[in-house]
Amino acid sequence: MIPASFEYHAPKTLDEALRLVERHGDEAKLLAGGHSLLPLMKLRLAAPRYVIDIGHLRGMSYIREENGQIAIGALTTHSEIEHSELLAAKCPLLPQTAAQIGDVQVRNRGTIGGSLAHADPGGDYPAAILALDAEIIAANTSGTRTIPARDFFVDMLTTQLHPGEILTQIRIAPRPPQSGTAYEKLHQPASGFAIVGVAANVLLGNGRKAIERAAIGITGLAAKAFRAEAVERALNGKTISDKVIEDASRNAAQGVEPLSDLHASGEYRREMARVFTRRAIARAIEAARGVSRGGV
Amino acid sequence: MKLAGTVTLPAPPSEVWSLLTDAPRLSRLLPGCEQLEPDGPDRYKAAVKFGIAAISGKYAGTLEFAEKKPPHSLILKLDGKGLPGFVKGEGRIELTPKGDTTEIAYTGEAHVGGLIASVGQRMLDAAARKIVQQFFDSAKAELESTKGAAAEPNSPVKAHRKGN
Amino acid sequence: MTTRYIGKPLKRKEDPRLIQGISHYVDDLNLAGMHYAAFLRSPHAHANIRSVDLSKARHASGVVLALSGADIDGAIQPVPCAAQIPDMKSAARPVLARDRVRFVGEAVAVVVASDRYAARDALDLIEVDYEPLTPIVNPEKAIAKGATPLHAGHKDNVAFKWELEGGDLKAAFKSADKVIRQRLVNQRLIPVPIETRGVIADYQPGEGQLTVWSATQIPHLLRTQIASMLNFPETLVRVVAPEVGGGFGSKLNVYPEEALVAYLAIQLGKPVKWSESRRENFQATIHGRDQIDDVEVAVKRDGSILGLRCHVIADLGAYYQLLTPLIPTLTGLMMTGCYKIPAARMEITGVFTNKMATDAYRGAGRPEATYLIERVMDLVAAELKKDPVEVRRKNFPQPNDFPYATPTGLIYDSGDYEKALDMALKVADYKKLRQEQAKLRKEGRYMGIGVSTYVEICGMGPSSAMPAGGWESATVRVEPTGRVSVMTGSSPHGQGQETTFAQMGADVLGIDPSQFQVVHGDTSIVPYGIGTFGSRATAVGGTAVYKSLLKVKEKLAHIAAHLVGSDPERMVFADGKISAKESPKKSVAFGQAVSAAYVAKTLPADMEPGLEATTFFEPSNFTYPFGTHICVVEIDREIGDVKLVRYVAVDDCGNVLNPLLVEGQVQGGIVQSVGQALFEEAVYDEQGQLITGELMDYALPHASDLCWIETARTVTPTPVNPLGVKGVGEAGTIGATPALAGAVADALAPFGVHHVDMPFKREKIWQLMRKSSGRVQ
Repeated sequence: MIPASFEYHAPKTLDEALRLVERHGDEAKLLAGGHSLLPLMKLRLAAPRYVIDIGHLRGMSYIREENGQIAIGALTTHSEIEHSELLAAKCPLLPQTAAQIGDVQVRNRGTIGGSLAHADPGGDYPAAILALDAEIIAANTSGTRTIPARDFFVDMLTTQLHPGEILTQIRIAPRPPQSGTAYEKLHQPASGFAIVGVAANVLLGNGRKAIERAAIGITGLAAKAFRAEAVERALNGKTISDKVIEDASRNAAQGVEPLSDLHASGEYRREMARVFTRRAIARAIEAARGVSRGGV
Repeated sequence: MKLAGTVTLPAPPSEVWSLLTDAPRLSRLLPGCEQLEPDGPDRYKAAVKFGIAAISGKYAGTLEFAEKKPPHSLILKLDGKGLPGFVKGEGRIELTPKGDTTEIAYTGEAHVGGLIASVGQRMLDAAARKIVQQFFDSAKAELESTKGAAAEPNSPVKAHRKGN
Repeated sequence: MTTRYIGKPLKRKEDPRLIQGISHYVDDLNLAGMHYAAFLRSPHAHANIRSVDLSKARHASGVVLALSGADIDGAIQPVPCAAQIPDMKSAARPVLARDRVRFVGEAVAVVVASDRYAARDALDLIEVDYEPLTPIVNPEKAIAKGATPLHAGHKDNVAFKWELEGGDLKAAFKSADKVIRQRLVNQRLIPVPIETRGVIADYQPGEGQLTVWSATQIPHLLRTQIASMLNFPETLVRVVAPEVGGGFGSKLNVYPEEALVAYLAIQLGKPVKWSESRRENFQATIHGRDQIDDVEVAVKRDGSILGLRCHVIADLGAYYQLLTPLIPTLTGLMMTGCYKIPAARMEITGVFTNKMATDAYRGAGRPEATYLIERVMDLVAAELKKDPVEVRRKNFPQPNDFPYATPTGLIYDSGDYEKALDMALKVADYKKLRQEQAKLRKEGRYMGIGVSTYVEICGMGPSSAMPAGGWESATVRVEPTGRVSVMTGSSPHGQGQETTFAQMGADVLGIDPSQFQVVHGDTSIVPYGIGTFGSRATAVGGTAVYKSLLKVKEKLAHIAAHLVGSDPERMVFADGKISAKESPKKSVAFGQAVSAAYVAKTLPADMEPGLEATTFFEPSNFTYPFGTHICVVEIDREIGDVKLVRYVAVDDCGNVLNPLLVEGQVQGGIVQSVGQALFEEAVYDEQGQLITGELMDYALPHASDLCWIETARTVTPTPVNPLGVKGVGEAGTIGATPALAGAVADALAPFGVHHVDMPFKREKIWQLMRKSSGRVQ
């Protein structure tokens, strides 16, 4: 478990880090919490020439409100997200998701930026980020750009980030009243990764009897996390009933080729996507109703 | 690990056949292929860099054609090893004309050993599928570009790789 | 003797240093000038080695030595196997493969470099030309006609056949009302101690002294074996087992790396360290279980078991490790469990496959036996439509049947099986559980209740029944200051004997437990011993300590009596004083009597000075702890997830020295069983690749997978040792798996399922429910 040799850089500022990734391009890997990169390096599945440790950069770990949005710094740990009061009030889906990542040690160390940039097919955040229609901010030496979550995940372990870019921030619109969210996950018992993870974000209407708009993000099922649009279509505008939810959930795996591995066959994953989609939607509706009863 | 599927390529079987069996052109279709040199009849020495994102490894080995029935079917054999382990695979490719295009049906099996087998379980299937997809995407692009620019039949075609 | 400390839940003396991370495991030790070894391991399950080219590695920066199997030919003997079965074929594991590799992870070459990075880098420069051969992975295919033998000179892959029969089996099956047959698979497991293995060897050429630090459970046996393997004088070998971070049997062995690292240190004249990676630990440290049992049981309509017949295919892997062939025979010996079964027969076929060797893993052969017989009891209950509890009760021997002779030739020392069963039923409120189950089933919820009544073998000894000595040693030395050193031949690595032996010593000598230092694991300090395994450290090792304590006590009684003018028989040891019964004035401080032994001016005539005693204790029999476990699970109909709802364990391990430690052993053992039942499985693919090669894919139980484990105890002392203790190191693992399996089968009964092979992975359960959902009762 000894990595191949590499050159280690610990930039003190984001600018310095950006210059380093610009110079070294795809020969460099960014090290944040290290939970994905270090095991790969120890096994020598990854042998980057340059490791740029951004874990100590100041000012990239925060959760705050900015221009009516919630902004989360890329180096914010899962644990900080899990316990954030601001997020609990304005975007509970992220704490709900973070609480189900790995174990305490992983959550204390792993970062949201690292997790998103790594784009593990079983990662938890991608489902939530998609269901929230979040925006991902990427910087390079010439400036920043905003990538909608829907465009961010390209394939297994592959995102829209270019070599030379660093993911710096995640932006989310605060939860509207009468909305509810839930993250339901079937974890792989060894690694804790999602065999299937479903994030549901529903906005109710018509006196909380109907679903005005639903956003469903699914992770674990396929090579990349995706928005289950067929499920959403089957929910939008419908009066809530068990049957509506059940029928909509049947579309969870529509059009995707499920992953298949030692822990779950494609067939099982497909079925679990249905079950967990149903459970997530039902819980999100419950949350939406519960919150509005609480008197917003 | 088993792989199977069909794909339609935008050229008649004869053209597809010549693409698949012409080493220099084939080398451009194989994702990460760095070298493909003849090593006997229907046999080539290959050096390939396979990988996804940060995970990658170099493999050296052979590529062989067998049971060639132009332009209907052939068997492709791969045998390679590298630091992350070894791969041995065999696939049957069948070409069926569909109008101006060719439907390719492939079935294959690959055995993976060493490090990638023992720690790469979660990603292996998906990675293999991705490589096959990249291969055929490149074939499509190559055939389309040949169609479009007949003057440059050997123009290099980059594998269509999103992101990264 | 007053028992002020024995039986009390004293906290472990070991823990503060372990919790703070300030004690030393092998990898924490560093010697001046130390070099590092790294092993190149085969990626092939089965291949001929055409050549190994070390030239590039030898020239790499920092590399001082690189060797292949050919380079050490004849210099190091293969890995020893202490277990002998008549007519078993040889299959010794070479320390480095020479012409052929037979499992993924088998070492092919070794590199030594000035740092561990250089050593690892150099492995990538070694070129091995392999000629791949067809791997033989499935044990049944391995012994099918036409399968190629793994080993040259063998005509097939059968390593041995072993048989055991007792009672009139023919008559049993003839007079049976029913015969029930079932195939049971005990999957292959990886022991996964927290600390992987590690070895440091240091050779002093002047003195000719070889010191080996190794993460081992058996320092003395290892010392003897290293001396034999290297043809090196045993007197000049010192083996030290420093802190050892768990073993579960996986360190009850002798490994190639232990001899090879010692060899390298001798060759180089420099200390050499090797630390095993987790991946190496998965591939090249012993595995456990891996049995296929075809069982047949003859029963009467009233539930009495008449006879039991079983054929076992034991997948041994490619080579023998220290005890490989012995393990399945323990299954044979214990196959009738805690029941009066008049006739039994076991046939074992040991099979070679292209996998790592199996060997002792917590329970070692007995969990397989308990699983076998307990699954049989459940199947009998299901077939006869009886309560599984009643079928068990019907077949118990009664307390006055002890010592009870089994048809397999064992003599169970003591037991009251019904008492433990009744206590467990009461704690669990079994009747109410069954009512709840009926109610839930009506709601479409699938709760299952599993019951396991078990007996196991502990206190491994006597020697006649053991491959390499069934005794244990202890020296007790009261030092001149009055502090007491207890040198035990046992080698605790988490069991807590530093605490329990001190408790025992405190009560015997009437002083505080803090006055004791239990020393273990260093062959230059402690007398020759056998080691810690088979739940023997307290029952056998503890008894040796106890007897030595009594010897020292007797001498002290004589000294004290001489000093105060009383009778040695009348001296009482308490509160740091040795006093005469008849008068409190006739008293001497403990330290004063000790001092007298060393100053040696006031000793009774003819008494030798000093205060030290050594005992080699060999028990007359094994001990047989027992108990009842009850497990409640609920299965998620949609997912197949098995959720533990309740777990009740009533264990009887005889007298208890420290209930806290017994509790810990029981809980830990049960959790390890939960691992086997729900999650763990070493999976080799058809090419012999170990595809559960890391903790990413080999699932261990997490705290969040468990429920609270409710424990209780009955106490039935053993007559086999004066302490009346039986041992508890493996009880949890042995008793729990069948309870879990029974609960899952019980939950699935409405689907017409009566047996499922472990592990109960969600998808497997989901498929079973789906396939038979049309038949839900």
